[in-house]
Amino acid sequence: MDTGAERTYIKNTGKSSFGIGSHVAAVDVKDGKILRIRPLSYDWKYKPEEFRPWKIEARGKTFHVPLKTTVSPLGLGYKKSVYSPNRILYPLKRVDWDPTGAPGSTGPGGRNTQNRGRSGYVRISWDEALDLIVAELRRVIDKYGPYAVFAQGDGHGETKTIHGPHGCQMRLLELLGGYTLQVRNADSWEGWYWGTKHVWGGEPFGLMPHPTNMYPDISRHSDQLLFWGCDPITTTRGFNGGDYVGLFCSFWKEIGIRQIYVCPDLNYGAAVFADKWIPILPNTDAAMQLAIAHYWIEHDLYDKEYVATHTVGFESFSDYVLGKEDGVPKTPQWAAEKTLVPSRIIKALARAWAAQATSCVHGFGGGLIRGPYSHEPARLEAALLAMQGIGRPGQHSFCIINRAVFGSEDHPAYPPSPGSIINNPNLNLRSTYRGYSPFPYAGLPKQFIPKTLVHDAILKGTFTIHGSSLQSSTAEEQFVKYEYPVEGCSPIHMIWSDAPCLMTCWNDSNQIAAAYQHPSIECFIAQHPWLENDCLFADLILPVNTKFEEEDICIDTESVTFEMLYLEHQCIESLGESKSDYEIVCMVAERLGLLEQYTEGKSIQEWIRYGFDTSRVPDTGLIDWETFQEKQYFVVPSDPNWEGYSAGMYDFYRDPEAHPLETPSGKLEFQSLNLTKYFPEDRERPPVPHWVEKSELHDERLSSARASKFPLLCVSNHPRHRVHAQMDDHTWSREIVSCKVKGPDGYLYEPVWLHPSEAAKRGIKDGDICRIFNERGAVLVGARVWERIMPGVAYVDHGARADFIVSGELDRGGAINTISPHSVTSKNCAGMASSGFLVEVAPVDLEALTREYPEAFSRPYSETAGLRFDRVLVEREN
Amino acid sequence: MGKVMVIDIGKCNGCYNCQVACKDEHVDNDWTPIAKPQPDTGHFWMKVTDIVQGTVPKVRVRYMLDTCQHCDEASCIPACRSKAIYKREDGAVIIDPEKCRGAGDCIKACPYGIIYWNDEAKIAQKCTWCAHLLDQGWKEPRCVDACPTGALTFGEESELQDLIAKAEVLKPEAGAKPRVYYIDLPNKYFIAGAVYEPEADECLEGVKVTLIGADGRSRGTLNTDDFGDFWFERQEPGRYSLRVEKDGYLSKTIEPIEALEDINVGDIELHRESAE
Repeated sequence: MDTGAERTYIKNTGKSSFGIGSHVAAVDVKDGKILRIRPLSYDWKYKPEEFRPWKIEARGKTFHVPLKTTVSPLGLGYKKSVYSPNRILYPLKRVDWDPTGAPGSTGPGGRNTQNRGRSGYVRISWDEALDLIVAELRRVIDKYGPYAVFAQGDGHGETKTIHGPHGCQMRLLELLGGYTLQVRNADSWEGWYWGTKHVWGGEPFGLMPHPTNMYPDISRHSDQLLFWGCDPITTTRGFNGGDYVGLFCSFWKEIGIRQIYVCPDLNYGAAVFADKWIPILPNTDAAMQLAIAHYWIEHDLYDKEYVATHTVGFESFSDYVLGKEDGVPKTPQWAAEKTLVPSRIIKALARAWAAQATSCVHGFGGGLIRGPYSHEPARLEAALLAMQGIGRPGQHSFCIINRAVFGSEDHPAYPPSPGSIINNPNLNLRSTYRGYSPFPYAGLPKQFIPKTLVHDAILKGTFTIHGSSLQSSTAEEQFVKYEYPVEGCSPIHMIWSDAPCLMTCWNDSNQIAAAYQHPSIECFIAQHPWLENDCLFADLILPVNTKFEEEDICIDTESVTFEMLYLEHQCIESLGESKSDYEIVCMVAERLGLLEQYTEGKSIQEWIRYGFDTSRVPDTGLIDWETFQEKQYFVVPSDPNWEGYSAGMYDFYRDPEAHPLETPSGKLEFQSLNLTKYFPEDRERPPVPHWVEKSELHDERLSSARASKFPLLCVSNHPRHRVHAQMDDHTWSREIVSCKVKGPDGYLYEPVWLHPSEAAKRGIKDGDICRIFNERGAVLVGARVWERIMPGVAYVDHGARADFIVSGELDRGGAINTISPHSVTSKNCAGMASSGFLVEVAPVDLEALTREYPEAFSRPYSETAGLRFDRVLVEREN
Repeated sequence: MGKVMVIDIGKCNGCYNCQVACKDEHVDNDWTPIAKPQPDTGHFWMKVTDIVQGTVPKVRVRYMLDTCQHCDEASCIPACRSKAIYKREDGAVIIDPEKCRGAGDCIKACPYGIIYWNDEAKIAQKCTWCAHLLDQGWKEPRCVDACPTGALTFGEESELQDLIAKAEVLKPEAGAKPRVYYIDLPNKYFIAGAVYEPEADECLEGVKVTLIGADGRSRGTLNTDDFGDFWFERQEPGRYSLRVEKDGYLSKTIEPIEALEDINVGDIELHRESAE
């Protein structure tokens, strides 16, 4: 801890979690306060030659690696999270939850689960909170067995190693006999996970296999890049290393690689880097892709020899494209009606793609990959790339957020087979990490609930699915049938969450609100630094501190620049009575007599030392513990042989027999052998990729009868000014024009982008407060009327903090996912569809609403930071 | 010679790091005698403005960066009746927060509108080039340190002559001799469009498009690309017309085009001569 003098510490400011840091910053601290957060110069305590700065030479120009970290504004402004007025400062109990009440009881002395989301809270002591937790854990486990406890502990959050933040409770619940796991789906890459795995393998994510050396290869060999349905420079603001992608996009511009964006919105990458923007209606990409295939087949513009030697099932694909299967040729004219992309543009793109070395580029979280049936556009992209000979230099599908700027055979961006993103053989803290990680895939617990089905599991009490949806599981696992509840396991009756964000980041979350109010959920504990989203449905809320308030150690294996191991010293005292997630679970473990087992007998400092010893950094012989403590960080030298590793699928391209893919045939599968075998009758994910107009699960096209009432298609991306649910309280972001819209009531509303033509039809002006709605509910938003969005579309980022006016029906905070589709991606794919759905937008009479809901409109609120901790507090009743 | 800042708008991708880093440095931190704390919101000592121009599908966003120009002939200095504003040897113009009496004259006098009123402290405030850091040996202010793209450069005037030669200053007519230079200012605009043949349902590549100024003279000729697109970049604001020609097609003139910002003239139909 500092003693008054200014000291500099190191903290990663990325929000990846899973113990994988990025956006590593230097933090200057004085007088117990964070003075500033700034980029860290790698050469602060090292000479550059010690870590070997790399460069990429291409087309007569040179790209030099930055010598300091590319911290994003979210990291630079991290103070605003630490000192947010929405920090939870002490334990809280829901005022009308009486744990002595019988399950389902209402009224005085009852559990009053029906009031969750509406109740106020009272302050309680840590002692009281811990007594309640231990009593409820024992009661529920005694009565129903351990599987009645549902652990939500996954996803993105602050990035810590020893302190979690997610899943610390699971190790304790394991000691108590087990639990029901909330399984996190492939939320930002659903289409790849459920779709392209069945074309090219690419376990476990489903992205193109072996994405090594993408940046140098694209820089040297690609003529043209298709940024399809994604914003390359937004997701990386949250993790994966910041603005390096922007640096590469700039470099590609400089060396003359054409950058084409296909998306409904002029996203932040398109806004500055696009040589051409092709606006397309949300979730209609599959139609355009099929039309390109049609054009190529009709005009003989694809690589027949490659298709013959490297692929299977082309004939049935071709039959579908040409209309031999269903009588509908998938012509550019056919696609133009569905996509609103003029057929002449589709044809021109088809010709350009066939004539030039073209790669598709993605950034996670765009509309392409998160709509209903998202596996179809994903598979079709793979099919198109296959028709042009994917693996040839300059021809790839590149997910730009993975860190394969350059790579090595034992150090690819993501492992080519089921493995761990924190299982990097060169550098890892996997055994030190105390949270939950699904990597590497180690099978599934006895009972689990996919995040996408939490509402069904609680409200309907049962579900049957194929495939767990677990991010790290294999293609084969997608064909395993699961039922809930599992025979011999109790349904869930208690929730212990350290990831309380279903409300703003998952599917049809108005139904989540209803589920949390269900009487079968007898106890709901949430622990979190900020009082937001699902926390407000909990019976007990525990205050968690931020990483600046903890001692820790962490790695950076996500930044493209260099990898690092660093100490994260405590910068400031914990705010209020907050503790880390790990410390909270330790306190519960202590009361259960399990502390020694839970901590494995190690103190925090001993874990840190253990982390260094097992990180593989000492194996380099370049640094010892004493020097590491003194320097606080170690930069892993770049691989001197990186230029020698083959790029992307080049080896497969060169010799498919010697380098087979992880598909049943070992080849690219236009017709999936697995889908043919397991789900030959699936109309939403057929053996050959299709255009799916509608199905019993989804009816979200403009051709739907619903479109007469909800005529706009909503596109929802990863947020620009947040990381999913996090950092929505940064005052310095909230005053940025694209972040929030200030209402006449002083409230900062989440923006909805509307084209001027659509706004005019509805009498909406820029800055007006509106309602975006469908049958699933309504959300208040502020209109941003501009040319950054095509007609026919409404754009709202996900992740704004819910602030219900009517719980489960009407939200003021801008949580668009409250009205996203209920159903999973498709019948056999328990992913989520949170973009590409029907809505309408209408002006709203705020004054009338204020009169109708005086309580909701008069809660304590910060005009700069938004929601405040004290808004739910009530005087303690005697 | 002193220090200068060079802002290359063409390199900015709108990350807002500069605006936020400035707040991180100055909000809640007291750097008296250089600056008192900046209010949490509403002040933008380094201000990013999104400029969205053009129409679907030819739209671009550029980001203008406004900050104190640290003028050598700063009109704020003589305007201040408490003599609180002074120029340092390195060129930085500083409002001494302890001498400022809050008359606000400097705010009116500044031709760039970049001095802010701190209503709580009752003083005028603005960018200081983080002089408290420069005095500790920092080479650049926080905004420049945090800029990942190279859009912001700070250094000795004598060492940045190459950049300065490519740059211009804001409002040279004000005669303030700013120490902030700009490259690629968003004061020139694109005139873009696309040519197609409706009968063939095809984009027309290789169409000769000539941009003609109000004086009747050509400002340049481009051939449309494979999407039929043409972009005349960085044109002076004014009135233009376009001549659109291709062998075998009826030529067309598009006029008038008022280019006071980026202009998408839209999709231009061209018909074959024989189609008549």
